[in-house]
Order: sequence, then C-alpha cells, then structure tokens
Amino acid sequence: MREEVKRILGIAIPLIIICIISGAALTATYGLTEERIEAVEQQKINESLSTIFLGASFTEMDDYYIATVSGEEIGYAFIAEGTGYGGTIRTMVGMYPNGTISGVSIISQSETPGLGTRIAEPDFTNQFSGKRIEGVRLRRDGGVIDAITGATISSRAITDIVRERAEVVMNETR
Amino acid sequence: MENLLVIAVGAIFVNNIVLSRFLGLCPFFGVSKKTSSALGMGSAVIFVMTCASAITWPIYTYLLLPFNLEFMRTVTFIVVIATFVQLIEMVIRKYKPGLYKALGIYLPLITTNCAIMGVALLNAEEGYSLIGSVVNGFSAGIGFTLALLLMSGIRERLEFADVPKSFQDLPIAFVSAALLALAFMAFSGMRL
Amino acid sequence: MKLDELTKGVFKQNPIFYLVLGLCPTLAVSTRVDNALGMSLGVFFVLVCSNVIISLFKHRIPPQVRIPCFIVIIASFVTIVDLFMHGYAPELHERLGIYLPLIVVNCIILGRAEAFASKKSVFDSFLDAVGMSIGFMLAIVGIALCRETLSSGKIAIFDYTIVPTFTQSPSVMMTLPPGAFLTIAVIMAMIKYKAIRKEGR
Repeated sequence: MREEVKRILGIAIPLIIICIISGAALTATYGLTEERIEAVEQQKINESLSTIFLGASFTEMDDYYIATVSGEEIGYAFIAEGTGYGGTIRTMVGMYPNGTISGVSIISQSETPGLGTRIAEPDFTNQFSGKRIEGVRLRRDGGVIDAITGATISSRAITDIVRERAEVVMNETR
Repeated sequence: MENLLVIAVGAIFVNNIVLSRFLGLCPFFGVSKKTSSALGMGSAVIFVMTCASAITWPIYTYLLLPFNLEFMRTVTFIVVIATFVQLIEMVIRKYKPGLYKALGIYLPLITTNCAIMGVALLNAEEGYSLIGSVVNGFSAGIGFTLALLLMSGIRERLEFADVPKSFQDLPIAFVSAALLALAFMAFSGMRL
Repeated sequence: MKLDELTKGVFKQNPIFYLVLGLCPTLAVSTRVDNALGMSLGVFFVLVCSNVIISLFKHRIPPQVRIPCFIVIIASFVTIVDLFMHGYAPELHERLGIYLPLIVVNCIILGRAEAFASKKSVFDSFLDAVGMSIGFMLAIVGIALCRETLSSGKIAIFDYTIVPTFTQSPSVMMTLPPGAFLTIAVIMAMIKYKAIRKEGR
C-alpha cells in the first residue's frame, strides 16, 4: 500500500510543481504587461473618439460618452459591436442629439483581408457622416450606404451594428 | 437571447470549422482516405467538442472571469480538454469495449486537434451562453464531420483517377479541399 | 554533425511540406506577409523555449505524465507570447486573433517535444527548435508572399512596396480559404515533381 502511494506521489508531484511554476510565471508576466495592455486598449478608444468629434472633450457615462466643445454638449459617442463575417466588429460611433451620425470609426475587426477589412477605410466609413440613423442601411436594403464590392456581409453587418446601437442610445438620451 | 439556429447554421455551413476557419486540418487530411474511418473520427470529434464546450464554459465564466484570470484561459482550456479526453478514453475502454474499438484510436489524436481548442476559445471570444456554447460545439462538430465525409468520398474516387505523378496523394487532396472550400463559400451569401 | 540538427528542419524535414504538421496556422494566417512573420516569431519563441526547458528537465518528468507536463509548459510560453504581443504589438495581436493561443495545439511543437527534446541533449534540442522554426517560417512566409502578391496585385512587405501594382484586377480569391489550399497544393506538387525528377536520373 505504501509503495503504491509513493509511486502515485512520484508521478503527481512533478506535475503539480510544473503547474505551480507555470501559474507563478504567468501571473508575473501578466503583472508586467497588464498596465501596458490597458493603456493600449484605452488609446485605441481615445483615438477613435477624437476622429469622430474633432477637438471635443468627452465625459464617460454608463455606456456612452458625452462630447462637449467649450462646455457645450454637441453629441454622443458610443461603442457598438456585433458579429461580422469573420468575427466581432467593434466600432466607435458619434451621433448628434437630433439622430444624425457624426462619424464612425472601426476599433477592431477580423474580416477577410483585402475584402472585409476595407470597412475600416475612410472611403467606406465617411459615408456614415451626416446620415440619419434610419437611413443607415445598405442601398439594396433600402438605405443610403454603398456596400463594398465583394464584402456585402461585412458591409451589412456594420450598418446593422451601428443602426441598432444608435437607436438604443437615442432612446436612452432622450 | 442569441438565436440558436443562427449559431448552428453558421457553425456548420457559413463558418465551417475546417473549410473556412482552417481548424482541425491535420485529421482532415490524415483520416480522410476512407469513408468508414472518416465517420469514426467525425463522431469522436462531435462528442468531444460538445462536451468540451459544456465543460470549458462554466470554468471560464465562473472561475476565470470573476477572478480576472482571463489570461490563464489557454493553459486552463488545454489542460481541461486533455484531461477530459484521457478520462473518456479510460471510461470507454472499461465499459464499452465495442465503442472503444470503433472510436478509441481516434481519441488520443483529438487532444492536439486544434478544432476542439479553437471552438472552446471561440465560445469565450463570442461570449455565448452555456446553451449557445454547447450548440456551437455540437454544430462545429457536425460541420467537421460533414467536411471530412465529403473529402473522404472525393478521395476514394480519386484512387481510380489518373492523377499526374507530382500531384498524387496530398497535393490533389489540397486541390480538392480548395474546390470544396469554394463550394462552401456560397453559403456565406445566406441571410441569417 | 551538429549542423545537421539545424538544417534538417529547414529543408529535409520541413515541418509543413514534408512532415505535414502545423497546417492550421499556416493556412489561416498566411493571408498577409506581416501576419505570417508575426506568427513565425511566436512559434519560434514558443518552440525554442519549450524545447530547451523540456530537454533540461527530461529526467525529472515521469514518463506516465509527460504529455500533460509538456502541454502545461508549452501553454505557459504561448500565454507569455500572447500577453507581450497584446501589449507591444496590439495590431498584430488583433489580426492573429485566436490563432495565437492556438499555437499551443500546433502539432509541430508537441511533436518536437515528444520526438526530440525529451530524448536529446539541451544544445541539440535548441538547434532542432531553431531549425524547425526557420523551416516553418520559410514555408508560411513563402505561402503568404504568393497569396498576398496574387490578391493585392503588388508585392509589399509591411508598407514598403517592392514591386508596384502590376495588375488592376488581382485575384481576391487568393486571400480566401480556397486560395490557401490551392497555393499549398501547387507548392507541394512542385517539390514532389523535383523529387521525382531527381530519382529518375
């Protein structure tokens, strides 16, 4: 019996030690990189905020930002995300209080390179500026946005993501 | 509430795990020479993938997320999946020798099958609920089996084809996979 | 010959074309040359570190649980790469997506641990890992170069254009899954063709 216990311990202990060392090493690495990763993520958000309301400052609310220029409220910014063709698309959307989109900027996406990734290019995203939220649909779906040739799914996904979230925020801020 | 049908159809056809996500390619080319072994491998993958989705979900949601341990998910998932596959192998060998004969040889191969791990990671990434994860795992398994069966059917016929020498075996299998992937791309036009 | 341990992975036993291991990341990430380079860097780090560590402790690891031990060691290095890439190369990290953590199930790494590092000396294992990583890099970057060139109509690495746009109608299909399968099929057939020619002489 004691032999048996010894044998099992002989197998189990090295495995446990490896797991402990690995856990410790990972926690240490995480501690080292945590701040940096958070800074990177925050910077992505700040960059996209500044592209949709030029020169504005932002106050963070529950799930959207209020954009102000010299103390005056000019609009709202919010993150809209949903599933595209290849994975999650995260966008930052700016909207004026009257329900017009001020701008859209892609924070992250993993669409097909060369096709779906073109949703992140200004040629496509600039189309949103100045459009009413009801019109944010592809032309073939009765809206005013031109889809990217060969990437209808990605284009449709982003219009749906933006419009649905914009409607929610519109109701919240009213 | 996520639409389970959308998840299922998406995982089987639109984002077929082999032909559009490139996961599980090693067994896809390794075990696709005969329809019978393709079926065995496929059922083993469906079973393990469904269970792995069901097991990794609570671990991720109740253990890793609350304690801010998300960064440990790679280690945790792989260890859990490897342990689970080992356990299943032992249980089946003891209680269902017939089933073990049919599936047993494929089980060890599954531990390093990136499709299983990939589905667990995708569930976490997409933030599915428990039921959503299980449906996604099961459907991805079906998608894998479907691709494997189609491929084995093609390769069985290729045996009798006069393929140029340098294209024999693997290269022609890759060409067939390319055509199969092209066919599956048609599904991406579906409106879900 | 020590040099053999290094060069065999590059040509004679190239992990992709001869051993047919690690196909998943090769096909998934080879849409662009910079993604392919990032992926090979990750694989290089993980493969070298895990090979050396496993070889160092090969006598301490009980044979009955060697696979779980290898997996834990490999997964730890993968997570380290993942965290550092997220902090210092966020764009690359995003583009590689789930294929970065999936290095852990890359058959090359566990395969080398099992077949080589757990038996040979530390230095040999190091050379083996370096050779295999270079072989992997050559294969994946080569495939990526073919695919990116054909799908964008120009040759560019990072943002430096080497050959300017030579066609206005590139084949977008090459970035999509079928293109990946076709590219690797043609490369493999070319290698086979050369081998057959050599034998015939």
